[in-house]
Amino acid sequence: MEHLMKMPDLSTTDSAIKLVRWLVQPGQSVKRGQSLCEIETDKAASEVESIVTGVLKEFRAQPGDMVVVGQEIALFETEMPSTTAPPAASAPAKASGLFARNRATAPPASQPPSLALSQSQQTIGRRLQASKQNIPHFYLQASANAEPMIRRRNAAAPKPVWEAFFVSAISKVLKDFERIRWRLGAEGIIAVANSDIGVAVDVKGDLFVASVAALPGSTVDEISNNIRERAREIQEGVGEARGIRPAAITITNLGATSIETFSAIINPPEVAILAIGKIGPVPVAQDGRVAIQQRVALTLSADHRVINGKYAADFLGAIIREIEAF
Amino acid sequence: MPAQKTYEKSFVLSLYERMVLIREFEERVKFLFLEGAMPGTIHQCQGQEATATGVCASLEADDWITSTFRGHGHALAKGLTVQELLDELFGARTGCCKGKGGSMHVGNMKKGMVPGIAIVAGGIPLAAGMALAFKMRGSRQVVACFFGDGAVAEGAFHEGVNMAAIWKLPVVFVCENNLYGASTHVSKVMTDTCISHRASHYGFNGQTVDGNDVLAVYEAARQAAADCRAGNGPVLLELLTYRRTGHSRRDTCAYQPKEERENWFSRDPLDRFASVLLERGDVSQAELDQIKSGVEQQINEAVELAKKAPLAGPEELLQDVFAPLS
Repeated sequence: MEHLMKMPDLSTTDSAIKLVRWLVQPGQSVKRGQSLCEIETDKAASEVESIVTGVLKEFRAQPGDMVVVGQEIALFETEMPSTTAPPAASAPAKASGLFARNRATAPPASQPPSLALSQSQQTIGRRLQASKQNIPHFYLQASANAEPMIRRRNAAAPKPVWEAFFVSAISKVLKDFERIRWRLGAEGIIAVANSDIGVAVDVKGDLFVASVAALPGSTVDEISNNIRERAREIQEGVGEARGIRPAAITITNLGATSIETFSAIINPPEVAILAIGKIGPVPVAQDGRVAIQQRVALTLSADHRVINGKYAADFLGAIIREIEAF
Repeated sequence: MPAQKTYEKSFVLSLYERMVLIREFEERVKFLFLEGAMPGTIHQCQGQEATATGVCASLEADDWITSTFRGHGHALAKGLTVQELLDELFGARTGCCKGKGGSMHVGNMKKGMVPGIAIVAGGIPLAAGMALAFKMRGSRQVVACFFGDGAVAEGAFHEGVNMAAIWKLPVVFVCENNLYGASTHVSKVMTDTCISHRASHYGFNGQTVDGNDVLAVYEAARQAAADCRAGNGPVLLELLTYRRTGHSRRDTCAYQPKEERENWFSRDPLDRFASVLLERGDVSQAELDQIKSGVEQQINEAVELAKKAPLAGPEELLQDVFAPLS
């Protein structure tokens, strides 16, 4: 007899599930419990187990498709209902009845487009659109002498990731700028105690923010290890590493590219974000002469509802003083 | 297994049957969830069958247990029926908590199991309170209090354990150390990962036991319960075990290294106990197979009934909220 397998309820946030790839092909035999396909929810990557023993007849969803819970994904030919597999006709009827109570309107199983945004891209799109629309951003730009940082990095083994220096600099000055940790909510201002710093991480074209523990006493090497560890967890999809975690402020670094300066969109509910460009040689006036110095351009985006220009300028200045003191 | 001790054949087979029952129950529930037949999330205990079975086998009928959000195994080991558990998981009024507890709160006060306490470590002070009642009434009862490694760093652990210690209360504190509090490895949350060491700080006995060896668990728990009845309690048993599935149904276990999983799977409590039984000489493979098929049959029948069981209605919402005055 035939059995239609439906997408199990594996999404923690009720969002659609992306089918990444099939692990079996039509005509192949599968056992109950065998992994059928890889999926991606907005929190984690995982696999879907077959609920029947039988032969896969056809796919009802393709790699890249966005699938909702309960949507048909594959058709199987099974032997007579075994003692362990429920008859196909009765089980789904009961299932839809139970789910119907939880989901008043099940989304129609429409034909999904063949090109689909990843779960994380959709989440980022939603959050940053809200940020751009609701937060009055303003931008301050300055540059810092990067040579002490370069010397400190070259002297270390293994070399710390560049982001670690900026996280370290911010963690040292954060206590003097309490408004950076103010959050504007429906009921007014809330001050958060979090001292983690968010670091934007690129994973195969998708953007994630790694929340990195950083205390004023943390060394650059410790912070660097933290960043590597968080980035690895995000890369491997460990636990809920890809979920959104609160931080005091986020940094985003395009220094490894040819970008000199850029302005970033604030990651809500935070009130500022620091954008870091590439380090490069710049002519500077030194003791009345022109000299060449390695410098890095920094752009601070801030939320004008919470922070004014002078305050943001002092904050950026303090970060630059710390960077130049490595 | 303990040195050369001979057990009645009927006793060891009953332990084996109980463990098979727990494993098959959990596997069946997993597929019911994947099929969409069962709503909500579930926390399962595949791989940990020997802890619940060994401890509950050592208790008298009028002894009590407290459990956690991962309570299906404890319930089956304490004598709750497959039917009353499945009905509860389906939200039926015929369930052990009349359909109002669900997977995380299974229990039956008539069978010595307080409905599961899903707050991590929440059952520990309650168990101390129950044991205080036993002591004040002069009864010989004991309570076995199940919790996980994640509970040990909670304040409630310290408060409950300390109170049990100073009043020498008859509690067997049973820590099922499966190495992970949700996705976090014990080594990340405690510097001394030998949990039984904690007992000496409070001035009572603690022991680490191979939690995948049902007879070792049984012997340790029997001795612990005897110590409690003799007024020498409490006792802390740390049972080393491993969870074969995610923390909850939507957790993919990505944090468990492959090598670690394989190592623990080779020490599976059911496989190991089956070998022990076959080595006795008076137990045949056919008997073990018969136990398994009997269990499957029992579960199949219960599933069919549970799917048709009447759901709890809104008019029952305010019933059983308060205990009757006695």
